[in-house]
Amino acid sequence: MIAAILVSCAVLFTGMPIVQRESFGAGDMQEDWKREFDNICSKTQDALEFSVGELRDLIARCDALKPRIEKLDEPQRKVTLKRLQMCRDFYIYLLEAKENQ
Amino acid sequence: MKAVAVWIASFCSILAFVGAANGGSIPIPPEYGKVIIRNFSNRAGLAGVRFDHWLHRAFYTCRLCHVDIGFAMEANATKIDAETNTKGFYCGSCHNGIRVHGDRKIFASCSLEARSEERTGCSRCHSVGKNVKKEYGYVSFTEKLPKENFGNLIDWEEAESQGLIRPVDFLPGISVSRASLNVQKDFRIKSKGWMPNVTFSHKKHALWNGCELCHPEIFPSVKKGTVKYSMLQIFEEQYCGLCHGRVAFPLHQCQKCHTNPMPR
Repeated sequence: MIAAILVSCAVLFTGMPIVQRESFGAGDMQEDWKREFDNICSKTQDALEFSVGELRDLIARCDALKPRIEKLDEPQRKVTLKRLQMCRDFYIYLLEAKENQ
Repeated sequence: MKAVAVWIASFCSILAFVGAANGGSIPIPPEYGKVIIRNFSNRAGLAGVRFDHWLHRAFYTCRLCHVDIGFAMEANATKIDAETNTKGFYCGSCHNGIRVHGDRKIFASCSLEARSEERTGCSRCHSVGKNVKKEYGYVSFTEKLPKENFGNLIDWEEAESQGLIRPVDFLPGISVSRASLNVQKDFRIKSKGWMPNVTFSHKKHALWNGCELCHPEIFPSVKKGTVKYSMLQIFEEQYCGLCHGRVAFPLHQCQKCHTNPMPR
């Protein structure tokens, strides 16, 4: 009986933190795309000064982020994808402008 | 020189009236920039939404709505519905009953649970074909703003420089914090024929529009000097004509762009 109580307590005390960690982890992952999105799209106003390499890096980060945004629920998915596309297109525009010079 | 300016002004006025006579009707000032949104309204038993650019542009920049919030630049292309609004997207980004502008709480845009007797509030936006008294009337709202000759009859740029309007460019929770804009210099576009050259001001445009609203969708990347914009294309709502003629000052105000010499 005492052993059963001890086992139950052990499960309780070891299990709950695991559940909480998992839910924290999922939330953190969700916020992760937002942080990356904000970081990428925060550079549109100073991107004119960026080198070809920096612009290529930003475009690659847009491409890497896109599949994660596609997994979001609507309408977050639709709105964020459009915003990401605008950022990506602008960086490509600048890249082409630099190459056309 | 003065005679040339008078001649150009006369030509542009004639252009405006000929355009109207040919079926391209000139809207009355409160209607200029009006958008009717009704992708789903009729199905929901509601009138279409009347959106007035003149009111919203006095409070927010073009960029905030068309980039950060994600409204398309074409009427009815965004596919706004009540559900997206109640989830805090599109109109619901601001119209959520929580967000504040100045000292006013912005009313909530939609409610999925609204019973028919509660739907009277819906006509605040779903007002097409209805005689709805608006909180902001065009005449009272614009009476102290500097005047123009066409469009909404408002000189929006002057209104901002006088501090009469202060369009917000950042919406907490939605906008991305960005570095301050490094504005490019004005440049000259050579006119073909007898019109004065165009002075394009990046500063005037980028402060309200940001960069990615115009590039590359409206103005794609090209080698400098290789693309010629014709007035025919612009009157067909391409390039400058996408905004000028629909919301920004109309194309009949030739002298606003065809300035010579370049303004300071």
